[in-house]
Amino acid sequence: MNRLPLLLRISANAGASLVLAFLVLPILAVVPASFNKASFIYLPPRAWSGVWYERFLADPEWHTSLVNSVEVATLATIIAVVLGTLAAIGLRRIDGRMRMLVTGLFLAPMIVPVIVTAVALYRSALDVGLSGTIIGMSLGHAILALPFVVINVGIALRAIDDNWLRAAAGLGAGPWRIFRTVTLPNITPGIVGGAIFSFITSFDEVIIAVFMAGYASKTLPVKIWESIRLEFTPVIAVAATVMIALAIVLFALAQVFSRKTGSPSR
Amino acid sequence: MTAAATLLQPKARTASMSRRHVETALLLGPALLVLALLFVVPLARLFSLAFTDPAGPFATFGVLAESSVYRQVMWNTFVVALMVTALCVLLAWPVAYVLSRLEGVWFGIALYGVLFPFWISVLVRTFSWMLLLERNGPINRLLMATGITEAPLALLFNNVGVLIGMIHILLPYMILPLYGAMVRIDRRLLLASDGLGASLLDTFRRIYLPLCLPGLAGGATFVFLLSLGFFITPALLGGSNAITLSMLIASFVNDRLAWSLAAAGSLALLAIVLVLMGLAARLLPIERGLFAR
Repeated sequence: MNRLPLLLRISANAGASLVLAFLVLPILAVVPASFNKASFIYLPPRAWSGVWYERFLADPEWHTSLVNSVEVATLATIIAVVLGTLAAIGLRRIDGRMRMLVTGLFLAPMIVPVIVTAVALYRSALDVGLSGTIIGMSLGHAILALPFVVINVGIALRAIDDNWLRAAAGLGAGPWRIFRTVTLPNITPGIVGGAIFSFITSFDEVIIAVFMAGYASKTLPVKIWESIRLEFTPVIAVAATVMIALAIVLFALAQVFSRKTGSPSR
Repeated sequence: MTAAATLLQPKARTASMSRRHVETALLLGPALLVLALLFVVPLARLFSLAFTDPAGPFATFGVLAESSVYRQVMWNTFVVALMVTALCVLLAWPVAYVLSRLEGVWFGIALYGVLFPFWISVLVRTFSWMLLLERNGPINRLLMATGITEAPLALLFNNVGVLIGMIHILLPYMILPLYGAMVRIDRRLLLASDGLGASLLDTFRRIYLPLCLPGLAGGATFVFLLSLGFFITPALLGGSNAITLSMLIASFVNDRLAWSLAAAGSLALLAIVLVLMGLAARLLPIERGLFAR
């Protein structure tokens, strides 16, 4: 096993390379598709052009959906980061069954199928008049993002030695001061990692958004979702390329940040 | 505070203890409140709708269980999830193995190859597959140019497309736990087995595979449970004869306004996921803390 026969080793490497290519390459197909000159998507394009990028930027519906997505994701991130960070710190102070129970509850949105969460949220949002609003979607996305913040900050908190807190208290620091000078600097990478992940979770989310979006509050994924079913023009590929670009920027940001502080961001 | 001081001031101590409790409650309270209001209550309200059918409290479940159409949907959901899981295990194996053996730059490149897709929206990736699998798309043209097929294959709007799309999205969830198990295997065990005269196959079967099992079982459970509730990919790549439970739930809400049926379907889906999760946690040698990578 330690030294596989040459033939097996070659086939393992070839298999792994093929599977990795299968994972990465298909994602990039939308990029050339977005540069089609024709009004339908042909891969690779027969004639190249940036005309659909102009269309994307000029069309108020696409433009609004992009703005809506940024708004929803920002709000969802703020809610999830504040609540999740407090909760992760609180979780360290309880133990036993109670801790298991509360942790389970915080992670539950990851376990319940999103379609179920989406239908449930939609029903209640209809009843209280939050359906079709930006805030309604943000709250729904914050619920999905919360587990990521609790996990990320929780991991960062584990690195803090309780003796540091006792030392700070022994030196006369109050709880707020201890939080500000000992806890916060140590968990900042976890908070940033959680925030980046919350943002991308909300920005990419389709299912809750499709149920909750109203005519004026479509997010970018909702607009893509609807356009795929109506028309198959390269402008959808442009929108998809925009989403990939943003994801790459956030991915790079998360990598830089986790490298700088030497803590895991995911 | 020293021990003597604590003894002298019991009142102060209880005061600081209860103050700590208040602080803990204030830390956990907001998140718990929001989670209760925006998650637990909406779910409970939805599920309660399943029992409000005029024909009787369990009539909706009867409708779901007795209709041959709905039974077909459940069956299709399970078959797709099983096939996705099986194929993911197969495809994850070489990647996880090679990852566990690589070092340096190549390891970094391969790991990014696995992690990068995680960051790209499922909708975008599914859309990409729609472009590639089209009747006149590049894959069909390639297959025809190489003479593998004469007429374009139907790769889209059926279970073939659904399988390809779902495997693409769920494969990393299989690779990472499997890699985690493989990388922790002590290579001296394999050397020892080798030195004691075991054949390659024996070493694999009796040493390597059992040590991989926790990661394999964890990843497979994860992929299977995610597959059961998958919505976007089957909805876009699947056809009208490849409906899954999540698509059925959505159509109850959107097309038929049949809330009690949607509620019953949702409750059934969640119940299946929870039961399987419980069973897997008990029966399979899954390592604890799947989430805390």
